[in-house]
Amino acid sequence: MERAGGGGASYQRFPRVRIRELRDDFAKFELRDTDASMANALRRVMIAEVPTVAIDLVEIEVNSSVLNDEFIAHRLGLIPLTSAAAMSMRFSRDCDACDGDGSCEYCSVEFHLAARATDSDQTLEVTSNDLRSTDPKVCPVDQARAYQHALGGSEPFDTAAAADQRQLPFLTFPFPFHEGILIVKLRRGQELRLRAIARKGIGKDHAKWSPAATVTFMYEPEIRINEELMETLTLDEKRNLVESSPTKVFNIDPNTQQVVVEDAEAYTYDDEVIKKADAMGKPGLIEINAKEDSFIFTVETTGAITAYELIMNAITVFRQKLDAVRLQDDDGDLGELGAHLVGG
Amino acid sequence: MNAPDRYERFVVPEGTKKVSYERDTKIVNAGSFTIEREDHTIGNILRMQLHRDPNVLFAGYKLPHPLQYKIIVRVHTANQSTPTQAYTQAINDLDKELENLKQAFEDEKTRYDERPKQGY
Ligand SMILES: [Zn+2]
Repeated sequence: MERAGGGGASYQRFPRVRIRELRDDFAKFELRDTDASMANALRRVMIAEVPTVAIDLVEIEVNSSVLNDEFIAHRLGLIPLTSAAAMSMRFSRDCDACDGDGSCEYCSVEFHLAARATDSDQTLEVTSNDLRSTDPKVCPVDQARAYQHALGGSEPFDTAAAADQRQLPFLTFPFPFHEGILIVKLRRGQELRLRAIARKGIGKDHAKWSPAATVTFMYEPEIRINEELMETLTLDEKRNLVESSPTKVFNIDPNTQQVVVEDAEAYTYDDEVIKKADAMGKPGLIEINAKEDSFIFTVETTGAITAYELIMNAITVFRQKLDAVRLQDDDGDLGELGAHLVGG
Repeated sequence: MNAPDRYERFVVPEGTKKVSYERDTKIVNAGSFTIEREDHTIGNILRMQLHRDPNVLFAGYKLPHPLQYKIIVRVHTANQSTPTQAYTQAINDLDKELENLKQAFEDEKTRYDERPKQGY
């Protein structure tokens, strides 16, 4: 009788990667020679299954602020914490070194916060900068950034270079990362004092543990212009065609007055230019296909881990998941035996 | 108060098997794998990898209900193979692909970091 899984032919693929941009919390890369199921599985693992550390248990000692205890506990949970150590930490529910109530080096990190608005008339803003960690490896990400900056290390967000390269044009610089994340505002005499336990977790459990701000991929578009047919168009018709695309995919070469593809990836698969060509009585003027085996990924993290760590950890986690769904020896043999008895 | 723990969605309860195989009683070389506490992430990629195997006549998966945290992968193969063989092969191939991808990323990162700094 043949052993389950023994000696079958391999149908493995060999994907290729090209990184276009890589910064601390942003990555853009091309993934080729694989299919959408691989791209989508990677995306899903990055969002929901790569672990980070986040505040999960809060003991409030004093809270005379305007926000109730659970509101504050929730806000604390959402603060991204530096999580480079998360992959090697234990989940509290699996930890046998403690009972999960903090002060355990394997599964949790304790935080303290104490703030009181003194008699001045100014409102006191309690932010993530007021959180005191008991483990220097785990602290709010903006604190870590400010610290790095103060040390004179390379600024993770090089504002000038980023602006030069027109990266992330939707963000306005300078990025306000020294101010901390606002938790609550205290009026004169109000006080907030608490102890918090941060634990390892995954986005599937609660979104606060997701290291991903956004992970998206698109099929690489392949745009073909029928030049012969295009030559039958007047300049005005060409302009109309170029304008019909809601995003700036095409342009007209000022010298040759030919329609050229300016930015293929700006195409949103909206079919507008194709409809326009049909309406002009020129079907087949432009053909656009999605390459089934080429993907362009955009990854942004919360800062809990770097974009590169997120990608690499996703691959590791995914392989662990695959390993977990392997058949155990007894399952396989039972199945084979059964088939043998019936099928012969 | 009586809400189930959130981790019940992805932690296999004690005494439950992660994967179980049930042979089809009517068709030879057909059967279903029930995978506990998994979803589309594993189900879809497994199904697509099984489709790459020419001995697989049918491969499909379903998530029976959003509150039942399991998937069912059904496989039917030709006589040269068996569902368990195809299933194991699919996992092996995916694992090798990911091992490859990891290496590709590491190499590409090295290349990216060492690329000549253009004068922008
Ligand atoms: Zn512990």
